[in-house]
Amino acid sequence: MAFLQLDALSKAFGPHKAVDGLTLGVEKGEFVSLLGPSGCGKTTTLQMIAGFVEPSGGAIRLEGKDLLAVKPAKRGLGIVFQSYALFPHMSVAENVAFGLEMQGVAKAERAKRVAETLGLVGLGAFAARFPRQLSGGQQQRVALARALVIRPQILLLDEPLSNLDAKLREEMQIELRQIQRTVGTTTILVTHDQAEAMALSDRIVVMNQGRAEQIAPPHEAYERPATPFVANFLGKTNLIDGKAVRPERIEFASSGLAGTVRTRIFQGNHWLYQVETASGLLTVIRQNAGGTMPEEGASVHLAWAAP
Amino acid sequence: MSKNGPIALIYHTLFVIFMLAPIVVVCWVAFTPEGFLSFPTTDWSLRWFRAIARYPEFISAFWQSLGLGALSSALAVGFSVPAALAIARHRFRGREAFTALFMSPLMIPYIVLGIAFLRFFTEIGLSGSFTGLVLAHIIVVFPFALRLTLASAIGLDRSIEHAAVSLGASEWTVLKRVTLPLVVPGLASGWALAFINSFDEVTMTVFIAGPGTATLPVRMFLYIQDNIDPLVTSVSACVIAITVAGLVALDRAYGLERLLVGRGHDGR
Ligand SMILES: Nc1ncnc2c1ncn2[C@@H]1O[C@H](COP(=O)(O)OP(=O)(O)OP(=O)(O)O)[C@@H](O)[C@H]1O
Ligand SMILES: [Mg+2]
Repeated sequence: MAFLQLDALSKAFGPHKAVDGLTLGVEKGEFVSLLGPSGCGKTTTLQMIAGFVEPSGGAIRLEGKDLLAVKPAKRGLGIVFQSYALFPHMSVAENVAFGLEMQGVAKAERAKRVAETLGLVGLGAFAARFPRQLSGGQQQRVALARALVIRPQILLLDEPLSNLDAKLREEMQIELRQIQRTVGTTTILVTHDQAEAMALSDRIVVMNQGRAEQIAPPHEAYERPATPFVANFLGKTNLIDGKAVRPERIEFASSGLAGTVRTRIFQGNHWLYQVETASGLLTVIRQNAGGTMPEEGASVHLAWAAP
Repeated sequence: MSKNGPIALIYHTLFVIFMLAPIVVVCWVAFTPEGFLSFPTTDWSLRWFRAIARYPEFISAFWQSLGLGALSSALAVGFSVPAALAIARHRFRGREAFTALFMSPLMIPYIVLGIAFLRFFTEIGLSGSFTGLVLAHIIVVFPFALRLTLASAIGLDRSIEHAAVSLGASEWTVLKRVTLPLVVPGLASGWALAFINSFDEVTMTVFIAGPGTATLPVRMFLYIQDNIDPLVTSVSACVIAITVAGLVALDRAYGLERLLVGRGHDGR
């Protein structure tokens, strides 16, 4: 049995099934993302693991033991909330020390571990500040430090990066991945950003209306989507003769499916084409290698390897 | 911040004058040497301030009001916290009814409350007692305390408390270390508003206060029924001075804005 095992986990709010029979095993040290559109039940799943929402059916086991029988305060999980949920009336150091204090860790040891963890997230110099004196990214790292310092069995992250701007988000993704690698904590990340899920995870769980559509490593889910929903959710896709073909797999060739370039958009490192063909309007992505590319209105032939 | 236009400036000036005029007039008249309310007075004297010393019942009534206001407001705020948390977080049967019940003292004319309390306290042997006054004042100031505690309980982010729980805090620890500190600004302003209402409540209190428990407004009210001299204006001026001094001291010590609004003046 996996380290953390969700068995047919369900939650109904009245007649509405927010989570519908979710089964998932997470191995020790693994980084798993719950990915899906808004309202598909990601937060509800996380809250059930954390103990703030009571499941209406199913089981959660941690190392084979029934986690639902354990009170939320005793589960020993580290949680980073979407809103960070820092204690606004405590300094950064006090925020991070809170969990250790609850565990009864002695003062000297506490101070040492707080300093260590703040160093890990790169906030050593900010210990005396209050949350409102920090930027969004810094607050997010405090939240991460606060969750990590108690050496949780599992780290639960609910869209921790969604409030950050694109550049900061990317930096934080890399940092988050590095920290998780260093500490080796089993991590479950909730996100609706497919790029983020693919960049960070060992495996992703693509969710739709409370169900898992596919559970697979990012590369596999992208290349071999189990359902049209997964194919669409994980990036642009063309449906040709009932088969999903990724736009970057299609090339301009001297022969193949004939078509006319409708639009051409330059996006820096690649070109995005819309090509009118007998199989409908196809999206084509070509790397920008500096060469000349077909212009709008040009007649082209498209070729791709069978997926 | 945008600058005020001339019309807004005039409006605000008029408004401030409207607010301050009665206070200024009262303080002004307090300095008259005449034996009646003369305004505007051209001579100045401390006669009526010295006169306060000859009426020790005003001074004891002041302490009475202070104690009554502080105690009943503190108790009202204390009771309002669990009520506010319950109303803010739970959807239980009778929730609307409870809220309406808690707010109802606002709707009932104070004179009616005064007569009702008088009857009731006579019945149970509390008439004219300090305990009776405290009970009655808790009830009339409770809606003010509840309004503000409720506002801060509703504004509280549940996930902050969840974060504390996930870090291993017991329910009691969460309340003590997280919930209460976060609602303190609400409690402080609730207490202040309740205190002010208790301090100047006269319509109801006049019915239930005994000779030994009369509050300052009741004393003043009774005094002006028999006298036309400016003694009450000098008493009022003293109360105003004490209030201003108290506010300044509070602001120096804690920052009024932080205490009542929940933010420091440095805009943090
Ligand atoms: N307390 C609640 N009462 C009733 N319905 C709820 C409650 N909490 C969540 N739901 C419903 O359950 C469904 C799943 O909600 P959930 O918060 O898990 O979505 P999510 O996947 O986290 O979405 P998002 O990406 O927008 O955060 C939604 O349709 C939501 O409306
Ligand atoms: Mg969510």
